[in-house]
Order: sequence, then structure tokens, then C-alpha cells
Amino acid sequence: MTAIEQSNAGDLVPSPAGQDPAPDPHSGHSGVPNAKLAMWLFLSSDCLFFGAFIATYLLYRDRPGQTGPTPQDVYNIPFTSVTSFILLMSSLTMVLALAAVQRGDYRRFRVWIMATALFGATFIGGQIFEFTEFTRKGLNVDTNLFGSSFFILTGIHGTHVLIGIIWLVSLWGLSMQSRISQGDSERVEIAGLYWHFVDVVWIVIFTVIYLLPK
Amino acid sequence: MADTTDTQEIEVAAGSAPARQGSGHEPDLPQGDLAYRMSHAAPNLLPGEIRAHPDPWQYVVVAVVLAVITGVEIAVSYMEGDIPDGLIVVLLLAMMVMKFILVASWFMHLRTDKPVFKRLFIVGAIAAPLLYLIVLATLHGVLAS
Repeated sequence: MTAIEQSNAGDLVPSPAGQDPAPDPHSGHSGVPNAKLAMWLFLSSDCLFFGAFIATYLLYRDRPGQTGPTPQDVYNIPFTSVTSFILLMSSLTMVLALAAVQRGDYRRFRVWIMATALFGATFIGGQIFEFTEFTRKGLNVDTNLFGSSFFILTGIHGTHVLIGIIWLVSLWGLSMQSRISQGDSERVEIAGLYWHFVDVVWIVIFTVIYLLPK
Repeated sequence: MADTTDTQEIEVAAGSAPARQGSGHEPDLPQGDLAYRMSHAAPNLLPGEIRAHPDPWQYVVVAVVLAVITGVEIAVSYMEGDIPDGLIVVLLLAMMVMKFILVASWFMHLRTDKPVFKRLFIVGAIAAPLLYLIVLATLHGVLAS
């Protein structure tokens, strides 16, 4: 039986013949992996977290009486479209990394996981450039309500991306030390769930914050 | 209640992957036995799955569709002034929802994992916009006055 088949057999740990299989301490009674369930619970709560900041942005960006730059003055849609596209494609490399580790192709796993981290780093680089440009145009976090809500929302998303990059690089490092195997694919999948969530949040932010008519 | 749902999910797994049933020669165990079904219904599946994950080429197809939708989104956003703003808003929001669903169902494997994950995520994904639409509707009037 291969490692992945052992993992498939799953939630029950093989036991000597004639005895009931022992339950896997990492899965609940229903066979749902505890770590994966915990990640989905976290992501569900994170929807509300980001929802709060998006709602705050929508509430404050057009408040009358604000001085300083407005969204129309500072947004660079072509540039943000490119960085958004890069983040979107990082989701593809992430699932390819997961598929590679699940079939035991560790070399490709390392290539795809590092590509995902590099795409994420490129996105963060783009965000730093965008923030610098906004500051140069006179928009800071304390300039007006639009600036405060924009920088906090996109900054918190950027922090999520940064945490994801650290997570991916640590998985790459573990793989380099041969400490990631087919049986550990759930660890990669959970990191992937987090990464894809960061991507879907940006899908919403990109449309609602940048593209919708002002 | 939870056991009933779990058993139903496992039955779905068995039904969706008949080729993975093995030899078809099953030992004389109670068919309703949850532990037996969990360990034998679909031996190629990882814990928490009801169907196998997609192939890599399917991921690539989804990524191409996502890229095309993003291109259309950007093109639509530049039509401001040429078509009514209301239509732009509807088109952009529809494309945003399509991209969201594609990533969640294919890349996050909600279409192949046990429904409990989908339910959890839907609660957050539906509750967030509902809650904040109420907040926006309430506070927008308060702040305006």
C-alpha cells in the first residue's frame, strides 16, 4: 500500500486483524479532518473581517467635505489589473503544487510552490509601488477618510498575502529537507486554502474598490 | 442528525466513484456500518473528499477562463460613459461572483470535498455582504443627515 493509499484509507488507522480499526486522532467522528475544518472556520470568519473593512471603505470614500486626492485622482487601473492578474495566476500554481505533492512529484512541487510565493511577492511589490505613488500624489493614511479606509483595507489584505508567502516558503524549505511527503498533502492543501482565500478576497476588492463606477 | 448526514455524504461518495469500489467482493459486514464505509467506499480519496480532485489540465482551463473574465471586466470598466452605469455595475458584479465561485469550487475544491466545508464557507460568504449591506443602509442615512 502506498503512502497516499494509506492516507486515503483514511480516517481509520490500520489495526491488527480481528480488531476494530482505531480512529485517527486528526479526524472527527464524521471523518472530516480537524485541521481542514478549522481552516474553513477561520476563512468563514475572515469573510466577515474583510466585509467590515470593505463596507467601511464604501461608506467613507465619498463623504462630502473631504480634502485631498479622490479615488479618480490616484487609481492606476492598468497597473492594478496586472498585479491582480499575477495574484490570480498564483492560485493556478498553488493547485499545481498540491497536485504534484499528491502524486509524489516533489521536484515539481518545489517549483510550483516557489512560483506561487514569487507571484505573491510580485503582488506585494506592486502594492508597495502603488502606495508610494499615492503618497507622492498627496494621499496618506491620515489625509482624508478615503485614504484611511483605502490604506487599511488594502494593507490588511497585503498582510494576509505576506503571511501566505512566509507559509509557502516554509513549506518549500521543509520539502528541501525531505520533510514533506505524499502523506503530508493535507498540510499543503490547508496552506492552499488560505492562499486561494486571499485571492478571492482580492477578486472582490479589485472589482468593488477599483473597477465599479465612482 | 450529524451521523445521518455523514452517512449520506459517504453514500454519495460511493455512488460517484463506482470504479473505485475495488473487487466488488465485500466481506460480510453490516452495510450501514459507518466505519466500514469510510474505509472502503472510495479508497482513492483523501480524508474530507467525496470525489477525487480535478486533473492539472482542468486547473489550467479554469485559470484561462478566469483570465478571460478578468480581461472582460477591465474592458467593461472602461466603457463608463458609453453604457449606463447601472449596467456596468451589474456586469462587473456578475463577473466578480463568477470568478469567486470558480476559485472556491475548483481551486479550493468545494465541489469535490464534503458538503460541510461548503456550508461553512457559504455562511461567511453570504453573511458578510448581508450584514454589511444592512450596516451601509443604516449608517449611510445617519452620516448623510
